[in-house]
Amino acid sequence: MNRSKTIHELTNILAIALRHKIGSIVNQNEIYAQKYAKDSEILLKQAEKIVCSKNWNSQDKEMIKEELKKKLSIELEKKPFLDIKKFDVMENEISNALKMLNLN
Amino acid sequence: MKFIHQVSKGSLYNQIYIPKEAENIFEAGDIVEVKLLKKKSFLYFSKALKNIGEFKEKLVKEIFSFLVKFSEIKQVFTVGSFLTEKVDYNDIDLLIITEKKINGIEEKVYTQLIDKFQLRFHIISFPESSFLNLQNICPLTRSMLYYFVSNKKFEISQETKIDKQHLQFLLMMPEDLLKIKANSRIFYDNIRRLVTLSNFLENKSLNPVEISKKTSVLVGNFLCSQLRNNELINENDIEFLRKIIKKYLNKIRKKL
Repeated sequence: MNRSKTIHELTNILAIALRHKIGSIVNQNEIYAQKYAKDSEILLKQAEKIVCSKNWNSQDKEMIKEELKKKLSIELEKKPFLDIKKFDVMENEISNALKMLNLN
Repeated sequence: MKFIHQVSKGSLYNQIYIPKEAENIFEAGDIVEVKLLKKKSFLYFSKALKNIGEFKEKLVKEIFSFLVKFSEIKQVFTVGSFLTEKVDYNDIDLLIITEKKINGIEEKVYTQLIDKFQLRFHIISFPESSFLNLQNICPLTRSMLYYFVSNKKFEISQETKIDKQHLQFLLMMPEDLLKIKANSRIFYDNIRRLVTLSNFLENKSLNPVEISKKTSVLVGNFLCSQLRNNELINENDIEFLRKIIKKYLNKIRKKL
């Protein structure tokens, strides 16, 4: 798979993983959040596999970050049942995820 | 001198009898110290659960007895495959109910349980108020509580409520599987989740054993076994599973 296709695949899965994660954060007072936060962990593991398949330079990392921001914003927009605070925690969660994947 | 005795029930107060041979040592008016050494533990089974065998029963008693020292825990449940599978279980699922939300309780309990029993545990905790609500609105929780052993009496509420937001939250992952690649076990777990949601909306049984059987019939025995073991499956199988997911998603959405 070429580099840009891999970046698309990675950002797709990361956007979904972070949507799950953010869902469990903003619905923290909701009872189901803690139990289902693991959906996000499963997806982050999938993303990790893709990350490990290539070496990433700083340009790639910047591209991943920008593409992820756009996709995650769309993902969150599409789920009106997630609390509106979702957009406030977005930046922080992107940074955390990229740091965890050594893509910062 | 010291002695160990069981507390017995008196007509007015619970009491401890002084052994005959020590009656001259412990006399009326003497001051003594009473210390709890081991909490008596009863087990309460869900209606659907007949027995779990002597070994598992003893282990659960020991776990519950160990957890007595956490004063913040109001009730404990053992749930999951440890109760329903004879040997084919991964870990011991414990559901802990606390009076109010306590950050870090799961990690604290988990670490101490591991140290004591050296077994694999999975711990979920809920404050009591949330747990009561969860029983009414969450198909997965209701299914999980179909089989349980608890340290206190418990009966699941018969009252159910459709919480659209909650169900939509639960549908997110199966919806995502229509477009992303994932391990085969994830497909299995999410098809099971959809069957559970669908049964909940149709007021059908949430017995997890029956739900597993239904899932097996839906995907076929061979593929089902591959999914449960998280084996690699081919693209045709993935497409087949996505069709099942789509069918169930449509069925569920119509009811929401």
